Amino acid sequence: MGLSRRDFLKNSVAAATAATVGMPLSEQAEAAVRAGEKDWQWDKGVCRFCGTGCGIMIATKDNRIVATKGDPDAPVNRGLNCIKGYFNGKINYGKDRLTQPLLRMTDGKFDKKGKFTPVSWEHALDIMEEKMRWAMKEKGPHGISIFGSGQYTIHEGYAAVKLMKAGFRSNNLDPNARHCMASAVVGFMQTFGIDEPQNNYDDIEYTDTAVLWGANMAEMHPILWSRITNRRLTHDKMRVVNLTTFGNMSSDIADLEIIMAPSADLAIQNFIAREIVKRDAIDHDFVKQHTVFATGPYDIGYGFRPKNVEKYASAAEMEIYKNEKSHVIDKYEAIAQRKKEGEVVEQKNVATAMKDWAISFEDFKIALEPYTLDFVAEIARGDADEPMDQFKAKLQQLADYYCEQGRKIMSFWTMGFNQHQRGSWVNEQAYMIHLLTGRQAAPGNGAFSLTGQPSACGTAREVGTFAHRLPADMVVMNPKHRAHAEEIWHLPAKTINPQMGSHFVKIMRDLEDGQVLFSWTQVNNPWQNTANVNHWIKAAREMNNFIVVADAYPGVSCKVADLILPAAMINEKWGAYGNAERRTQVWRQQVLPPGQARGDLWMMLELSKRFKLKEVWGEQPLPGLKAEGFPDGKLPSVLDEAVKMGYTPETTLYEVLFATPENKKYKWPDNAVARGHGNHICDLLKDGWFPEKALFEEYRKFGMGHGHDLAPFDVYHDDHVRGLKWPVVLKEGKWTETPWRNNEKYDPYVARGSGFDFYGNNGNSLVMGDLDKMGDPAGKVDISHKAKIYFRPYASPVEKPDANYDLWLATGRVLEHWHSGTMTRRVPELHRAVPEAVCWIHQKDADARGLKRNDLVWVESRRGKVKVRVETGGRNRAPRGLVYVPWFDEGVLINKVTLDTTCPLSKQTDYKKCAVKIYKA
Amino acid sequence: MNLSGILVMAKPESQDRVVAALNALEGVEVHQVDDGRIVAVQEAPDIHAEIEGVKRIKALPHVIMAEMVYHYLAEDEHVYEAMPPELEVGPASDSHETCAVPAYLND
Repeated sequence: MGLSRRDFLKNSVAAATAATVGMPLSEQAEAAVRAGEKDWQWDKGVCRFCGTGCGIMIATKDNRIVATKGDPDAPVNRGLNCIKGYFNGKINYGKDRLTQPLLRMTDGKFDKKGKFTPVSWEHALDIMEEKMRWAMKEKGPHGISIFGSGQYTIHEGYAAVKLMKAGFRSNNLDPNARHCMASAVVGFMQTFGIDEPQNNYDDIEYTDTAVLWGANMAEMHPILWSRITNRRLTHDKMRVVNLTTFGNMSSDIADLEIIMAPSADLAIQNFIAREIVKRDAIDHDFVKQHTVFATGPYDIGYGFRPKNVEKYASAAEMEIYKNEKSHVIDKYEAIAQRKKEGEVVEQKNVATAMKDWAISFEDFKIALEPYTLDFVAEIARGDADEPMDQFKAKLQQLADYYCEQGRKIMSFWTMGFNQHQRGSWVNEQAYMIHLLTGRQAAPGNGAFSLTGQPSACGTAREVGTFAHRLPADMVVMNPKHRAHAEEIWHLPAKTINPQMGSHFVKIMRDLEDGQVLFSWTQVNNPWQNTANVNHWIKAAREMNNFIVVADAYPGVSCKVADLILPAAMINEKWGAYGNAERRTQVWRQQVLPPGQARGDLWMMLELSKRFKLKEVWGEQPLPGLKAEGFPDGKLPSVLDEAVKMGYTPETTLYEVLFATPENKKYKWPDNAVARGHGNHICDLLKDGWFPEKALFEEYRKFGMGHGHDLAPFDVYHDDHVRGLKWPVVLKEGKWTETPWRNNEKYDPYVARGSGFDFYGNNGNSLVMGDLDKMGDPAGKVDISHKAKIYFRPYASPVEKPDANYDLWLATGRVLEHWHSGTMTRRVPELHRAVPEAVCWIHQKDADARGLKRNDLVWVESRRGKVKVRVETGGRNRAPRGLVYVPWFDEGVLINKVTLDTTCPLSKQTDYKKCAVKIYKA
Repeated sequence: MNLSGILVMAKPESQDRVVAALNALEGVEVHQVDDGRIVAVQEAPDIHAEIEGVKRIKALPHVIMAEMVYHYLAEDEHVYEAMPPELEVGPASDSHETCAVPAYLND
């Protein structure tokens, strides 16, 4: 670049700063860029990283990506990029890119203890096929599994769902989005009956207040943050509040920084609700017309292994795991849950944590009553050095904002809420506050769940790559939903397995206890991203199983694999993502994948050619299955029915699921859309169809007509379209997006004259009950057109610091790196900006342990330990008693230390709080 | 070395004077200016100097606000220049057809 490292850094800092406050790049920088751009082909694309979904422009020359820049026409980012975004084009070109399949072998044969050796694709698929057959023969359809992704393209996710659920009749497909968004999903489904936000990013420019609840947007969603800071600087009334367990970059522009104790968000939100009720700041018309009050059980456990945990856990781990059976109520829970301190509560609703019932407004008020300012401040103060009066004044100020008539408020959250032992509850509490005050689904007013991954919404959630889901919010446990999917997919009745599969953490546990024998990882890094990972590394390496990992670079998961498949990266394949504001965006293949790297979609299509119906649609064992219309413990054969539908036992899954006569009507080449761009998957398949387009059009059928509508494939590829927010409906000949859902002014699905209509709950009902239990099942309340306002109590974290493990550990990201760092750490600029993970610690905590900045320390929990350098300055300011370690660095594999507790409703892991000790290494 | 990206706000009519004053400060460079919003990058030896430096900017005449928006910390140059062992690979092969098996995988 001809710049010294120092100059480069300064330019980067300036660019990052400008981006953060929403300033365009300088003329000088633009001019320098333009000079080198001759002969470049520009095309629109999407950023590969977070859930914001920034539009980028991609330049290619001679089959190489030469540049990327923020797309000035993209409504999300308006030409800006964050520092990761600037380097989208460089992630494909790390030196150690995987370019051919690698199999552990000894003397030319597969050997679980062998060394990785290059093999052909033919050989790789042969052994996958053999091991899948073995796993299904031993254990039935749930002996195989896929770890999917919120970074799957929509087409890949759809193919994975169809291959697993319709082909192999296995629901053991779960995405890393389980770690990221599952609590948000439960919050939406329970509250509104339909997934994903009503609001959109334009709310930032309409609102008066941005409240961050566990979302360090300055680092994790920098472009949205630039819109918030710009609003703060240009709108006098605008206020920014940052609620967090440690001071961070988002505090820099915040008017109010509230450092809270882990899990105190549950108490603070009830305090706000209590203030709203006490001061009568309720929007009574809204509440009466559009909501119903509800609650559920409190004795729901902590998402640990429910049975036989002693067999796998150490004595130290058991100290915490025993809470899954019974939990001793602490002094805060005693007040918050109307119990007695020291009371032992059997956890009876572990399996029925989702149960809920309606309550009266009077009961709702009674439940809120204990959450006084004094009580909540005592639970919630996260910085022991902050004077209590000052902390109380801050909580009061926050409540004042929510109670102020006419003040518009957006509440934003990401992993602080979602990665939470009560993540579903804390999501629902945000809706509680916004629904009570009538601040939802309107410009500038809404509780808005931000996503972490680029297609956590578009693929993981909308396509439904979860163990319980089918496309368009449908679930495998519902017979009507299965029948609808079987109809669209032309499957015999009862092909789809009605038993929910294993969620992400449970697949790991299934590998550990030998229930799953075959696992295939796509577009994520499970052995770096899963908590308490020592167990899972051991399970992968020491159990008799077969681990396949498709990846672009060798990471931890590759290292524990038996077979590595070299994957094509973004821009080496056609794709589509859906961002956090329901915006579906697409891109074309820009360059060819290197060597023999290939798209995950191709891998699935190719594998599907190797299985015939007679092997997978005959009777299959399914231990534990109990479902209406199914024999106990097995899936019935559907082969006879299949023959009646025109299939034969010899028909391959490729022909039944993918290259169907209808799909083959979408021909490749398709010059109208491709305009000179290639498709390596079509080139390899050589049978003349366009799988990405065909699968997208087939997938659309699931959403059309009931609120999930997407436009045709070609519309998204139009030069003038920069993504569209669903539902996208045809209005006066034009495919028209929906900016605010459930709001009569904007949403075509809303009943006319209603103002707001939470139609996701149409046809649903709740049994009336009191705060402690469900009442007479005859007393049903129809909740059509209504959203639920839940009362959810405070619950203390299951593992708290004690005399031995005396510090909280929170984990997360840093601005410069994406997830497990396999891509961003191979971009020299990003790597150098943050070369390794550090442990942020308060100076006094460091002093007390005789530690100086940069000292190497062990961070140790009941589960494992890692070595890391301590950092007492810099961008994060830990209060005394808490440390923060990011997880991108496989050299500091912090998930060896974290606790595998999940929200019992969503099964999403809590990465934000466990107990550790720190000592000099 | 601590680098900070600092957003400085000034009224458009006093923008030029503020830019000149900023450039005159040791360790400070103005990178971008847009309608009263000024992006300055400050280099400081440590966090204390960094914070003192921002206070110094806030105290300049005609500055409405000055806030650190972006921090960059690089005290130990050698750490930042080195690639971590797990990312070290042999020389890249010219042909992508055969892939060197990264040594990391077979450790």
